[in-house]
Amino acid sequence: MIGLIRLAVVGFVLLTVVYVLVSIYSRSVRRERLEKEWDTDPANEGRLPDERTAFIEAGMQAYRHSLRRRLIVLVYVVPLAAAAVTAYLVNW
Amino acid sequence: MAKFLKYMKWTIRILLVLFVLGFLHYTLPQHDIVRITNTYNRLTTVGPENSWAYSAPDSGTAESTSTRDIRFIDAAFDGGKVIVYRNEDTGWVWPPYFKYDSSNLQAEATNLKSSGTEAKWVVVTHYGWRIPLLSIYPNAVAVREATGPDETIIPWVNIVVLIFLVFIVIMVRRMWAQFWERTVEPAAANVEEAWDSAETRATGFWGRIRRMFGGK
Repeated sequence: MIGLIRLAVVGFVLLTVVYVLVSIYSRSVRRERLEKEWDTDPANEGRLPDERTAFIEAGMQAYRHSLRRRLIVLVYVVPLAAAAVTAYLVNW
Repeated sequence: MAKFLKYMKWTIRILLVLFVLGFLHYTLPQHDIVRITNTYNRLTTVGPENSWAYSAPDSGTAESTSTRDIRFIDAAFDGGKVIVYRNEDTGWVWPPYFKYDSSNLQAEATNLKSSGTEAKWVVVTHYGWRIPLLSIYPNAVAVREATGPDETIIPWVNIVVLIFLVFIVIMVRRMWAQFWERTVEPAAANVEEAWDSAETRATGFWGRIRRMFGGK
């Protein structure tokens, strides 16, 4: 039983590290896409850098409430589900 | 010298690939179709050479690091070749089977025992290797009756796990590339600029670090 508790604690810590890394990655990809979107749009030629920053910040604000960001919680859900299914299939 | 380094590089790469493949082959489940001939337990001494192939001492069957009472399952293949499985709880970390029903499994295996004249074919799911020299045995995970000695089994678990592992590798590579492109390279460029303006070496410290990791 001690083993199970240890697994839960260590697993939670490791998955939190993965969660943070995936969050950073996902945010970075989104920011890069917004930057490219602004830079490749010919309508934006000659506009101020402040406007570019505002556009990107608005996009990031939208990202913060997006489903995509919330789906990162699967980092916790999938391993837990896999472990539960494995234990069930092996022992019953 | 360059040739030697090239050989070294390839040797290390090949060893690494073999290690990963061996690790997966050891850990992933396999299926045997066999006839169970005997089930028993016996006191088994686990030494430093083979303890890696047995369960962690605290995972259930016996709480000793050197001598344990381990359950075994003897079986025979269709052609007459034999195999011996051990039947141990796996504990909670590795390999991740979360098996804690060894007693039940032993009872099921005993129940499926059959003689050569009226053979009852059984699918034994197991992981691990049988290496007589090291006295290691594959660990049986599940038994069920087979439809016959040549039943076809599709290894769904392996398919899913391998696809998932490939996905993880691809994601790690993409995350690393993203980190490099968005964080390390701009930082390196900044540092290089600062160094260049101070009339230091044109390559710069970060430039060298970057080349060391294969960047341009």
